[in-house]
Amino acid sequence: MKYLIASALIGLLPLNAGATAIEEAPWAPRAAAYRLSLFMANLTPVPWDKIEKNWTAPAPGSAVAVEALSRVSDRDARNIRAALAAEDRQALFAAATTALANGILKHLEKAEAMLGQPEAAFEVAQASALYRAFEDGILAADKQAARDLGRAWLVLNSSLGSSGVLGNGAQDADPVRFAKAQAVITEYIEASYLPTSFAERSKLTPLPETAVRAGTAAVLPATLPPGSNIADQRDLPRLVLQFEEAGEDEANLPLVAYGDMLFDSPEIFGYPARDLGIACSTCHNRSDVNRDFFIPGLSSHAGGMDVDSSFFNPMFNDREDDHLDTPSMRGIRFTAPYGRDGREPSLRRFVRNVIVTEFAGAEPTPFQLDAMVAYLRVFDFLPNPQIDQAGRLTDMASEAAKRGEVLFNTQFAGLGDRSCASCHTPDRFFRDGRAYDIGSAEPPFPGGTATAFDTPTLRNVNFTAPYMHDGALPTLASVVDWFNETKGLSLDAEQRADLTAYLQAVGDGEEPYQRFEGRDSVFRLSWEELTTFASTLDTLIPLRDAANIAVLVDTVAPDLAADASVMTNQSAKPEIYKFAAILRSVGDASAAGDWAEAGRQWEVFKTMQDEIDGRMF
Amino acid sequence: MLSRRNFLTTAAAAVATPALASAGQGLKLAFIPQENPEKLLGDIETITAWLSQELQVPVTGFVTFDHAAAVEALRNGDADISFMGALPFVLAEDQIGAVPLLSEVYRGQPSYAGRVFVRKDSGIETLADLQGRDIAFADPVSESGYLYPLDLFVREGLVADAGDADRFFGQKFFAGGYQQAMQAMANGLVDAAGASQYADLYLTPEQQAEIRVLGESEQIPSHAIIARPGLDAALQARFVEAMLRLNQAENRYLLAYLYGPDGYVAADPKVYDGVRQMARRYGYLK
Repeated sequence: MKYLIASALIGLLPLNAGATAIEEAPWAPRAAAYRLSLFMANLTPVPWDKIEKNWTAPAPGSAVAVEALSRVSDRDARNIRAALAAEDRQALFAAATTALANGILKHLEKAEAMLGQPEAAFEVAQASALYRAFEDGILAADKQAARDLGRAWLVLNSSLGSSGVLGNGAQDADPVRFAKAQAVITEYIEASYLPTSFAERSKLTPLPETAVRAGTAAVLPATLPPGSNIADQRDLPRLVLQFEEAGEDEANLPLVAYGDMLFDSPEIFGYPARDLGIACSTCHNRSDVNRDFFIPGLSSHAGGMDVDSSFFNPMFNDREDDHLDTPSMRGIRFTAPYGRDGREPSLRRFVRNVIVTEFAGAEPTPFQLDAMVAYLRVFDFLPNPQIDQAGRLTDMASEAAKRGEVLFNTQFAGLGDRSCASCHTPDRFFRDGRAYDIGSAEPPFPGGTATAFDTPTLRNVNFTAPYMHDGALPTLASVVDWFNETKGLSLDAEQRADLTAYLQAVGDGEEPYQRFEGRDSVFRLSWEELTTFASTLDTLIPLRDAANIAVLVDTVAPDLAADASVMTNQSAKPEIYKFAAILRSVGDASAAGDWAEAGRQWEVFKTMQDEIDGRMF
Repeated sequence: MLSRRNFLTTAAAAVATPALASAGQGLKLAFIPQENPEKLLGDIETITAWLSQELQVPVTGFVTFDHAAAVEALRNGDADISFMGALPFVLAEDQIGAVPLLSEVYRGQPSYAGRVFVRKDSGIETLADLQGRDIAFADPVSESGYLYPLDLFVREGLVADAGDADRFFGQKFFAGGYQQAMQAMANGLVDAAGASQYADLYLTPEQQAEIRVLGESEQIPSHAIIARPGLDAALQARFVEAMLRLNQAENRYLLAYLYGPDGYVAADPKVYDGVRQMARRYGYLK
């Protein structure tokens, strides 16, 4: 539930968010282009066409829809263009860093010239927005410099003066104080970001040149580029768990609850996914798809990414820019095999593949795999009264859908004398468990064999746009058009509309999104889920399973505290921090082998849970 | 107050001039930029289109540089109506006779508070502990981001007046907005921040867990929508009625285009008495 926080957090933050996914404030166009360029130039192979677009078109994550190149000096623009044309990483780094540093200094000069006027504040804000692109690099390399510079920015803003409101509340500018602070920033930027030449870099980072040349050991926190969105989608999918619908409580199913926790835990992944707070649920949001997920350079559009790029696990890099659309996991126990290409026969192997291969995690234990599979196996489809158990339309379906059902079951020569239903078999959840080359992917080389893809289910497909393995088709109607054209089905417009209506009927689902109202808030959902995760301690403490307790505590305690920021009842926020600290004490005691203390703290936790439950919304 | 405007720290330019507003007989609205002026321009289009339809008169909008520019626009007739904080409103009322029409509602209240925040690990337990320590406020013309948090120190007898604050504190900064003040405190650049009660939401969730509230001011009327004096009374009344229809379920989605309040209530001029007194006490009003 870590990511619920982001879906409700409206405040936009200027700094790196740490392990909790939040939405970032938009970036200044030049700063966005710079950070995107660094991120993408570190990918293998380097996507030069995308890097160029960061400068020549409005960049992802940019506050204003202008080309970054239009905001740099002619000379800096020439240097950036030359580096892009030469596909020279080092030259690009030098040119882009210089352009940004020059921008900071120029805005400060303008501010100084306009002191006492509102424009001065605007110029300082512009300079500060560019400085943001260097800020984490400076902090990682030299904390004292970061502090001195931070104070200098405060002084700049404080010495601008204010004209008040028609003279009321006016404050004089302080040019001397402004000039001193400006000098601090200017000297640092000139020394660290405007050197005569830049040292060669194997990895492009915003670390200051002075630190790089001095060989300063600096650890930059993992970051994603501007325009990234790994927060939960705004309309949170409704999660249908079999046992819940049947009236059972997850707290009574510790294996499922622990698997649920692991599904929400970045702790099982390796760097950088873990440090970025990415978990299974980041993409497979509440068993469905996070349609907003997007990482520039890795995603060609929202709702998926190239999972085998060099970023998350260089060992798994296939050196192809091949975006994969994230599949829904609803009803997943019915939809083997797994992976878009159906390469994994079992859920267990697929989960291990995601943890170890895609996201560079340590080998999961058999217990962890058991738990995750136990959890995944209770995902159900959204109920859909328009179809019966055999996948036939019911009377609730429209006449158009019923005409479409006939077409769906009609054999076509272009389909090899098969029907749509031959593969999307209605009484097998509209899939057949086999993989086909239907012409949706190009062969890897002329004469080569194209990848075959697993037949996806059509259940609840209304909520998983875009479609096909690479998300190339935006709507179900476009999917019908694609088959009609590429397979020569010769369907007229009315027939295509009927077939689309049929897909929409079988792909529908009741109450697809979670509703929040009053005390039934985003935080309440998070509270219930996180305390359910914690309930597995009733099982783990008697087993003295310190390793799994550590994973649980490292996941749940920070999430509890982080999710407090979206509480409707903000006055109860301090209680959550205390509550999370008690859980941390359980983890500390179990790590120390003090099982009596672990048990005592766990009882304290449960007592407090009962006491504060009514205020947790 | 989560997405409230930062008075002097717009993130980007895109500042239109009043001349962009219609010169015709319609209603001209002045908006104060927040963190993304371009988004605001898009928002203005949506909300003015809806208001035009509701009022059956052309409604146009433009973004001003800051509150001062909005008040100036009201004074010279370039704007008929403006969005405005409580302190700039009472200053505008004093200078040009501006009148309050509507108050924003957040979390069920048409009011909020100013707070003084510190880091939990700072060892600071009371306002008195901040003697000789550094504090960042948001902006000198800000009720919750300066005057009301400062008044907490005055009420405790720690500070005599605004001028005396420079003696009490080590250094007093105006960071440029709630967010900048809070980040300066959370990142250890200063010891405390004076900002809106909701300003902690500008911090990361991890940072929020590391801070505490040292003091909270009396309630401040929430941001308002104000009109220039002499604006046709019937048009004013129709505008207020239309804005109150934003509280209806079918129109609530439009609130996201207006700084994101939960809704509006008709303004009561008396609720600003406290702000007027505060402005006088600190020399903002004669």
